[in-house]
Amino acid sequence: MNTPTTGPTAPADGSTDRKTGPWLMLLLAGVFEVGYALSVAGSEGFTVLAWSASAIVFFLLTLFFLSVALKAIDVGIGYAVWAGIGAVGAALLGPVFFDEVLTPVRAFWLAVIIGGVVWLKLSDSVTVRGTRATA
Amino acid sequence: MSWLYLGIAVIFEVAVGIFAGKAQGFTELWWTVATLASGAAATFFLSLALLTFDVGVGYAIWTSVAGVGIVVIGALFLGQRLDLRKALGIAVVIGGVVGLQLSGAA
Repeated sequence: MNTPTTGPTAPADGSTDRKTGPWLMLLLAGVFEVGYALSVAGSEGFTVLAWSASAIVFFLLTLFFLSVALKAIDVGIGYAVWAGIGAVGAALLGPVFFDEVLTPVRAFWLAVIIGGVVWLKLSDSVTVRGTRATA
Repeated sequence: MSWLYLGIAVIFEVAVGIFAGKAQGFTELWWTVATLASGAAATFFLSLALLTFDVGVGYAIWTSVAGVGIVVIGALFLGQRLDLRKALGIAVVIGGVVGLQLSGAA
């Protein structure tokens, strides 16, 4: 795919076009991570063939898409979004695929845990730190 | 036993996080091999933990506590800064895991 060469007037921080691709890759990596989590659960200790194969495919897909996305996106923000999508997706879709329930108490504590890890990943972000430092 | 499996899975996932950083976008062969091997081990032990834990719960604890481990190892051995902001994140994750367990919702 040929992307048009950006002219000298293009903003230094990257145009919308150049940013969309990596973010799409990151969102896909998040979706694949949800697929990975569900497949690992469904594999029942890697004794169920189809779920086990699916887990391996999703593992490679999420790793590949994440690594490509992180070449263009701030690592801290990228990991935060990816981890957030993975954990929220697993919590919401677990009850759809398996014999699980998402009670209000459980949802609350999961939100605390996921909020904590997203915050932690964002703490590694150069962009977030830079913005705060100059604010 | 399920907590033990989850703990082992967390340790391997911490290794994944550290090795992936060394692999430089998977251009360094042996760090890439180490990343994939640790990832496979983490995945296997996670699958054993998820025989007992629901996936929403087990996965969230696994990925979040591993995130904490990566920051702690980075601060202890890799010369990275552990500031107040990160300490707060660590406290929230640990508080959440303890709360989840104590509330009986794990």
